Amino acid sequence: MEEKSASYERVVYKNPSEYHYMKIHLVLENADTSISAEEFKYLIISGLKDLYGEVGAAIPFDVLTFDQTALSAILRVFNSGLVKLWSALTLTGSYANKPCAFRVTQVSPFLLALSGNSREMEV
Amino acid sequence: MSVFMDLNIIAIADKAKLQSTIETAAHLGYSTVAINYVVEGQQKKQLIPKPQPVAELFEKFPIVQGKSRPIKVLNRLTVVVTDASHFRLANAYKDFDILAVFPKTEKLFHAACMTYDVDIICIAATEKQPFHCKRSPVNGAIERGVHFEISYTAAIRDSTMKKYTIANAINLMTTCKGKNVIVASGAEAPLEMRGPYDIANLGLVFGLSEGDAKAAVSTNCRSVVLHGETRATALGIIHTMKRPQPPSEQPEEETPAAKKAKTETD
Repeated sequence: MEEKSASYERVVYKNPSEYHYMKIHLVLENADTSISAEEFKYLIISGLKDLYGEVGAAIPFDVLTFDQTALSAILRVFNSGLVKLWSALTLTGSYANKPCAFRVTQVSPFLLALSGNSREMEV
Repeated sequence: MSVFMDLNIIAIADKAKLQSTIETAAHLGYSTVAINYVVEGQQKKQLIPKPQPVAELFEKFPIVQGKSRPIKVLNRLTVVVTDASHFRLANAYKDFDILAVFPKTEKLFHAACMTYDVDIICIAATEKQPFHCKRSPVNGAIERGVHFEISYTAAIRDSTMKKYTIANAINLMTTCKGKNVIVASGAEAPLEMRGPYDIANLGLVFGLSEGDAKAAVSTNCRSVVLHGETRATALGIIHTMKRPQPPSEQPEEETPAAKKAKTETD
């Protein structure tokens, strides 16, 4: 019986995801300021416009979820726009003339990865 | 991988606010922060502030996120020099862990890079740097292990400052090619702090490569702290410290140990 020599296949996993997902939350000085999803997205777009101008404001991104009580959201952005969106979030410093800050909790090319955060796990 | 550090938190009189800023830093994942005392060299008689003992700041230091270790707090002095006489080689600076200098003219920038015994040279963030960073002093500074610092808080506060900060940063990066750069906050309030990964990403905007940008908040900061430590030693070669007393063991029992071992092998 002729034994077939084992054949190996090399699988290189190239990141097939064209998007990155970011889990962020907004910290405001006055904790009980309420903010709608539209205002939230507008704040991000104006941050982009401040840093990158009209071309920056045209970077396509989506707010997938928005939690109005925790002011947390999940954004989806094309890989090419990630650095720009992230730096715009970093340099956003005020909302309605009051200091604010975006805290980026997680960034991942897979949406599923945002379902848990190993840093907040209690071991 | 090296831990993250933020070597520029402005010292403010409001202790509660300073505490909450440091707590925010710990929560964002910074393992070490430095409280920055700024001295303007304007007055005839320059007053070096006494740093507050770090231990007095907290009863219990906040735990760094994901590290289960308390945050380490250092003291840092920044001397703003507008004239060569403002920077003295005095012992007055020895109370501080890190010494930084903020040169205002090209001549002083050259002197700071080549001769001053400092750890950090600050790059202007609130105004257009009035001079161009030349290659020879910058290379001299890199060779001596002095680092350049860009602070990002001004860029968060105001859109004009944002322009200046980015312009000065890119100006520096083209000269030093991303070597020996640190990015620190210069924050006065908790909401002006940003996370270490945010800053690593911001470094890309400043013209750093991905690796250099991450080094700017981690390994380069570590070199600065170590450079600060060597300032207090003899040329960084000899460093003396008190040895912690080992738990005392009875010396009487030690001598028979060799004998005992011998009998056992027999």
